Amino acid sequence: MISVESYKRPETIAEALKLLKTGKFGIIAGGTDVIPQMRHTPARSLLDIGKLGLDFVRENDNTVEIGAAATHSQIQNNPLIQRFLPLLSTACGLVGSWQIRNRGTIGGNIVNASPCADSAPALLIYDTKVVLLSSQGRRSVNLSEFIKKPYLTVLTAKDLVHSFVCQKGDDSAGNSFIKLGRRQAVNISRMTIAVSLVRDDSNKITMAKIAVGSVFPTPTRISELENKLIGQIVSKELFDETADLAADLMIKASGVRWSTPYKKPVLIGLMRRALVGASGIKEIPA
Amino acid sequence: MIIKFKLNGKNVAIEAPGGERLIDLLRERLNLVGTKEGCGKGECGACTVLLDNKPVCSCLILAAQVNGRNVMTIEGVESDARLRAVQEAFVEAGSVQCGFCTPGMILSAAALLRANPKPSRDEIKRALSGNLCRCTGYEKIFDAVELASHKIMKKAASK
Repeated sequence: MISVESYKRPETIAEALKLLKTGKFGIIAGGTDVIPQMRHTPARSLLDIGKLGLDFVRENDNTVEIGAAATHSQIQNNPLIQRFLPLLSTACGLVGSWQIRNRGTIGGNIVNASPCADSAPALLIYDTKVVLLSSQGRRSVNLSEFIKKPYLTVLTAKDLVHSFVCQKGDDSAGNSFIKLGRRQAVNISRMTIAVSLVRDDSNKITMAKIAVGSVFPTPTRISELENKLIGQIVSKELFDETADLAADLMIKASGVRWSTPYKKPVLIGLMRRALVGASGIKEIPA
Repeated sequence: MIIKFKLNGKNVAIEAPGGERLIDLLRERLNLVGTKEGCGKGECGACTVLLDNKPVCSCLILAAQVNGRNVMTIEGVESDARLRAVQEAFVEAGSVQCGFCTPGMILSAAALLRANPKPSRDEIKRALSGNLCRCTGYEKIFDAVELASHKIMKKAASK
């Protein structure tokens, strides 16, 4: 038993927004984070969004829109997401255990704003916008601005995260997602790296997107690395330099910390591996 | 609020207070104590039940959230042939020591075999990675799932 002041399970979004307007409710979806947290916090009023039909995945012209209450399992196995947002499908498939993926939602993963949220680097690669609803209306915020700092977002108590609008990935892109943990499964990520690259026939990189988790205080796209790669011919030297630059940027952002002697070589190694993986070239020329 | 759901094949209608977790409803009010609470935060999988045939942690769901849905606990072994086959395989393969993780293991394994009747060893390991065992080690548990898969396939073939 956990203590709650009241529990509401509205069946329409309008009703949910009216309740949220009071500012009294905390939102619960899958409950995989909220329920354990509530064992240590004073009783709250809960608003369950499970009946609002927010577990959809739909395709628009250039985007795929994912409802906030879609579960990790649903996203992992959805054919639209596998086709257009492959990094997101991979990332969600690596979250927690099967039990957790069956309940935990993408909305919850992002709203928690943990530096190590597995879905965040993948969503950043697809230039995701977060659609928020409140009694004031609808607004849309870039994911990169939605997460302000560790465990803090722009969300107010009156807002409901409705969905995530993701730009479809480039069909010809090579993708790589690496999650580093202490074991193979059921892991809190120590580091995550998502890379998407497009190269032309002469092995020149024409598109590069790189996002990381648990490297900076929040999940982040690294434009410095992307700019370094675009227009260059794939080579071992290029990837080595890019990986080194990633480590320099990490240290510049957070200083040398107790974890740096571990994280620096690991970030360099994993970034190199992710770049090679996304390039799709087995033998990278020197 | 009154919730109605299907539990091990039977209809249940019961008043559920807002903060009640599914595991509390099962164990304390419905006396289905086969479902175990280990960590209480979704890491050990001892409290695993099937919700619409998918494994979930009953310590992380509110009872109110199963309204209108289908819940299977280890007690459902009486009414479900697949679950029974997995349970028998666990006994045969010697996969039970203290038994605390066993109900959750059996339910996760049965859900795996429903989705994937002939899983590889690696697929079994991944499917059961959310269920922790602290005594037998996992090898005999994985053996049991392979044995159950074999039995279920053989039974299906002989029909």
